[in-house]
Amino acid sequence: MTLARHLAAAIVVAVVLAALSVQLGAYRDYQMAEVAAYVVAVAGLTVLIGLSGQISVGNGAFMAVGSYGGALLMLHLNWPLELVFAASAVIAAAGGAIFGIAAARLRGPYLAGATLMLAVALPTLADQYTGVFGGDQGLSTSITTPAFLGAAFPPTRWLAWVTCGAALIALVLLANISRSRIGRSWRAVRDDEVAAALSGLNVARLQILAFVVSAGCAGLGGALLAVVTGIVAPGAYTLTLSIGLLTAAVVGGLGSLFGAVWGSLILVLVPSYLTNLAASHGLSGAASSSVPIAAYGVVLIIVMLAFPAGIQGGLRRLFGAPTAAVPLNALRRRRPASEHQEEGLHEKIT
Amino acid sequence: MTDPAMTDPGTTDPAVTSPAALAVEDLVAGYGGVPVLDGVSIRAGAGSITAVLGANGAGKTTLLRSISGFVRPRRGRVLVGGTDLARRHPEDIARAGVAHVPEGQGVITELTVEENLRVGALARRDRAGRAAALNDAYQRFPVLAERRRRAAATLSGGERQILVIARALMAAPRVLLLDEPSLGLAPRVVAQVMELIRQLRDDAGLTVLLVEQNARSALGIADKGLVLNLGKVVAEDDAAALAADVGLRRHYLGF
Amino acid sequence: MQEFLEFTLGGIGIGMIYAAIALSLVLIWRGTRVLNYSQGGMAMFTTYVAWVVISHTGNYWAGFVVALACGLVLGAILERAVVRPTVGKSPLNSVIVTIGLLIFLEGLAGIIYGGQYRSFPAAYSVKGLKIGSVALGISPSDLFTAAAVLAAALALALIFRYTSVGLRLRATAFNPSVARLLGIRIGRVLTLGWALAGLFGALAGVLVTPSTFLYPNSMDSIFVLGFTAAVIGGLDSPVGAVTGGVLLGVVLSYAGGYLGSDLVLVYGLVVLALVLMIRPNGLFSAPVTRRV
Repeated sequence: MTLARHLAAAIVVAVVLAALSVQLGAYRDYQMAEVAAYVVAVAGLTVLIGLSGQISVGNGAFMAVGSYGGALLMLHLNWPLELVFAASAVIAAAGGAIFGIAAARLRGPYLAGATLMLAVALPTLADQYTGVFGGDQGLSTSITTPAFLGAAFPPTRWLAWVTCGAALIALVLLANISRSRIGRSWRAVRDDEVAAALSGLNVARLQILAFVVSAGCAGLGGALLAVVTGIVAPGAYTLTLSIGLLTAAVVGGLGSLFGAVWGSLILVLVPSYLTNLAASHGLSGAASSSVPIAAYGVVLIIVMLAFPAGIQGGLRRLFGAPTAAVPLNALRRRRPASEHQEEGLHEKIT
Repeated sequence: MTDPAMTDPGTTDPAVTSPAALAVEDLVAGYGGVPVLDGVSIRAGAGSITAVLGANGAGKTTLLRSISGFVRPRRGRVLVGGTDLARRHPEDIARAGVAHVPEGQGVITELTVEENLRVGALARRDRAGRAAALNDAYQRFPVLAERRRRAAATLSGGERQILVIARALMAAPRVLLLDEPSLGLAPRVVAQVMELIRQLRDDAGLTVLLVEQNARSALGIADKGLVLNLGKVVAEDDAAALAADVGLRRHYLGF
Repeated sequence: MQEFLEFTLGGIGIGMIYAAIALSLVLIWRGTRVLNYSQGGMAMFTTYVAWVVISHTGNYWAGFVVALACGLVLGAILERAVVRPTVGKSPLNSVIVTIGLLIFLEGLAGIIYGGQYRSFPAAYSVKGLKIGSVALGISPSDLFTAAAVLAAALALALIFRYTSVGLRLRATAFNPSVARLLGIRIGRVLTLGWALAGLFGALAGVLVTPSTFLYPNSMDSIFVLGFTAAVIGGLDSPVGAVTGGVLLGVVLSYAGGYLGSDLVLVYGLVVLALVLMIRPNGLFSAPVTRRV
């Protein structure tokens, strides 16, 4: 009955958010919509890393795939919004499948490198085929508030409703998968791949599925973000975005859906705060906007070294509850190519 | 830290030389929650061979690894020439004159025979000392001189064992820890290796801790022996006395 | 025919840059199984330092040398301070930490120097050379690049083969636990490995930036292509790194030349995908066997 429980929780949250969106002003509604978009993408990533043990620094590219796909459907086929969102997820998921199949045998650093390549290479396609993708200017993806809400209904509130609704649906689905046999199989593969294979799990298929799910979430998140910002352009899908998603997932707590929420809040709220702070201290515009980027780096390093379980892990520990958030040292150590390697470096070096 | 000097091999009777070249006092060590060694004490004088015997899982390998620093003892002391080396890093313990030849030999297969030996000498400060040590090694072990340029991976089991012992000697250690040197070797080769170890005690005055499943061969060259069971020393005596104790032999040593 | 010659020589030229990055990755990977994702970021940062020196002194070679020295120092510091704590933990730790380092260096460069594209001088003329009327597709600058990387690689090979330091590096790379048993302070060896890697990265940065321009993300594409080159050659093999670099440079040069040059990164992605699917351990290693 987990599905019922998750749905009930989602409905409660939806009502709360709807009420909140009425209370908050237009700007905060806009930010709520942004956060919702990122939550979907970060949630997919945190499931990939935390549950299936695979790393990706390329999910920004899958966001791009989803948002460009959705934008093209909106512009050329005039599909309704729900269909566009679903299609974005599917298109990006297909991309995830292709990548996952190609990368099925990759582990750890090799996989990260391949996803990094993806993150750096894929956006160049948009620059190349400018006829289709609109080049640097990009494609317009603004939406209009539906008529039945009345003319006075603030567009930002509609954005918040749409994105939060989509995000809640995605989160319910992710929560269900996480508790299902698939989720348990992912954890088994993550913890000991050989043992999982020996007990009959199809490791490659599970790993690919994890990529499909995380890419689909990234695609949906990308489409949501496109609708929120009103535009899809290559400049938005940089390596920094992919690493920002990673930071959000790590800070929030890998494997935890609540952690995805914390991470996304930080991702939306903190960078502008930092930039303004820097600007007020006299840094130029370009320099100030680099401050959040440097901050991502510092945060990633410190969290990995000192607080591997992230915010959610910390909260759970505070309240004494078991947590879904996985401290990274619990993730299984892959066997190194040479057996000797492990032993010599396992003990602490001076 | 000065280079460890070779002890004077004037007498080979461990009872006469004092203080103990190697003393392990009440060592408690293990992995995770359960201690594998539960209060082990050993005294060995310079120029002696002490056989460490017992069944699998008794803690023999853990004992050597605790002495050489790969396992951090929870309690107890490891005294080499009077200095407590317990809980130091493996590199520092090696430089203090403790050479450990691990189970499985530890040949660096990607290097040549000569390179393996040279690695052994890297702990020495002076270039002349390293060159001299290499020459000594070739003189003492002609089989290595013949194969000096070959990849270490091409050596036979017995040759590898000789290589790693020679390599361990390159830094002129005072204490030599040998973990199952006879493992996987044909009986004739085992005899050669044992004879080699005996010579090292006689010529170089080394203090040798010899961990062996092959208790018969080990007791054949050892001065003293001790038997480990479940992390404790259950028997300790002169090698000859242990070998003569039929009940003990059958119970713990399998012959 | 002339085109073919141009593409080949040009490909070798840029391939040397990939080789330098690949070498720095191999240097670190061999001993520690850590892939240094910040290698490009480090190279970018040391190039900025060189740029500052050159701007102030007007002397290219001063900047060149300072960049290399900074590479050594930066590599050593980063290993000791940030990467050492990840040793022995899950491999994802070092991945995320080095990625954090990458983004930190990019942000820091943006803060200190701003995001605009800056021009960076080349050591020698960048005008293409001709033999008679045949354009070769390479310039004196390209020749210097190739010579510098080859000289550095050769020096590294000699160090590995004939010196005690080199022996230490190799022993630690092949069997760290035995190295420790023999008294080698592998902590220092690791730091040295990172320092050398930083040197090669800095070299690549100074040599390639004249054509990419200098900005915080300037080394991103070079890094991923250097990574691809390292994978082609096999992450354990320095010889493979150089060969992989040249091979990749030439292949991408042909692809870019005959198919259109804006999609070089996509071609690189395809090459990487193919290599990882067919021969993930690289051309110079034994095919992969999984140990159970």
